[in-house]
Amino acid sequence: MPESIVVTGLGAISSLGMDVAENWASARAGVTGIKPHLLDPGPHGPPPVTRVAAIMQGDWLAALEAALGRRIGQTFDPFAAFALKASHEALGHAGLLGQPLGSRAAVVMGNGIGGLTTLEKAYERFFGLKATKIHPMTVPRVMVSALVSAVAMEFGVTGPVFATSSACASAGHAIIQGAGLIATGMVDVAVVGGSECIGSPGGIRSWEGLQAMSDTMLRPFSAGRDGMAIGDGAAALVIERRSHAEARGAPILAEFLGGGMTSDAGHLTQPGLEGVVGAMRQACAPGGFLEPGAGQVLISAHGTGTPLNDKNEAEAIRAVFGDAAASTPVIATKSAHGHTLGATAALQAVLALKALETGYAPPILGYLGPDEDCAGLDLVLGEARPISIRNLLVNAFAFGGLNVCLAFRR
Amino acid sequence: MAGHEEELIEIIAEEALVDRAKLDPNATLEDIGLDSVDLVSVVFAIEEKYGIEIAEDAFSRSDTLAQLLAKIEALIAAKES
Repeated sequence: MPESIVVTGLGAISSLGMDVAENWASARAGVTGIKPHLLDPGPHGPPPVTRVAAIMQGDWLAALEAALGRRIGQTFDPFAAFALKASHEALGHAGLLGQPLGSRAAVVMGNGIGGLTTLEKAYERFFGLKATKIHPMTVPRVMVSALVSAVAMEFGVTGPVFATSSACASAGHAIIQGAGLIATGMVDVAVVGGSECIGSPGGIRSWEGLQAMSDTMLRPFSAGRDGMAIGDGAAALVIERRSHAEARGAPILAEFLGGGMTSDAGHLTQPGLEGVVGAMRQACAPGGFLEPGAGQVLISAHGTGTPLNDKNEAEAIRAVFGDAAASTPVIATKSAHGHTLGATAALQAVLALKALETGYAPPILGYLGPDEDCAGLDLVLGEARPISIRNLLVNAFAFGGLNVCLAFRR
Repeated sequence: MAGHEEELIEIIAEEALVDRAKLDPNATLEDIGLDSVDLVSVVFAIEEKYGIEIAEDAFSRSDTLAQLLAKIEALIAAKES
């Protein structure tokens, strides 16, 4: 039997706050980071518009620089800087700051789109202003792998370092790949998670064409739900070989049991049932979640608030859990932090692990009433619900039919 | 010297992440710790702010900060006239 992999540190940053404590306090209290924002593309763009999104609030750069104790300035695109902030917090939580992590450590983090803020600014100059020069740091800021390089450089990680990219499942794939590096014996510890910064005028407008954005609020599994609200954010988990964590007396927050990964091989934007069911079943297997006596499971649903996803996900949960679906609590924290795309699986995992730790499942926000397409689930509504649950399933399903589910036990 | 020195120093400190106290006019760019990427980033930011074009070989790292500032002031003055 292979040695288990444990979680020893958590980090998060989003529109809900600069760290795990702030993010958790908001999610538990039912406070959402989703709100209308005036998006002004500047003098070279179309007129400003107001759109609903969960854009990062406050001076996150100052928070990052205070945490690291040095200037960062414009060195990184925000998406890489967010990853750095979340990773610093997670490593601090795990007691791993202060010395280079070396070659027995890995960094694997997900990102969907890369440095969109930087790219947008560069192309505004190039196409809009007809400037002949592009900023010399454009490429290293835009590249998808900038987030893991930033983390590796800061914390002296000289083992395997790479980014995963699978749209809204990116962080899920990253967590499983990081765990795989530990399982094969290549490393002892990995910083895993994901990050996304989409809150630029062009970034948000480019989502509109898909007709998947709400004008009001992301309302998971609700009647009258009309789409998602995208958000900025990053989250990181420190995972390590159990013996490694125990030898250094690290706090063990949970065990990472395993994950499921499938592809629909179907449609570029519409979800498929079979792939989602398959990923959930795979993830449930290592912890025996579907076996008698396994105990209750908390499901952190993908729950994007789109008519299609939530219908499909509800059907998948009913198919996988059968009669137990009606008594398996489902949370959907995107209603608080928005759809943070390449960060979402990690951010959901961090908040759901806090739910297990504190014994409170955070409420699904924006709920207007039951929808028969989403019937038969035990949705956590209204206020945070007291729970006593050890098993956690996290769902993340991406455009292009890329499905990832993660299983943890506290 | 025209009134851009404060702004220019601010741009250099911000783009190259150099402490303002280190920005002695008589120090060379190398002494200040500007590497080649810092220098292109600084040049880029200055071009953008003042709408001027700075030739790629306008500065070398052995130039002093005062020399760099004087060259930029001249380009800004030429643009404004």
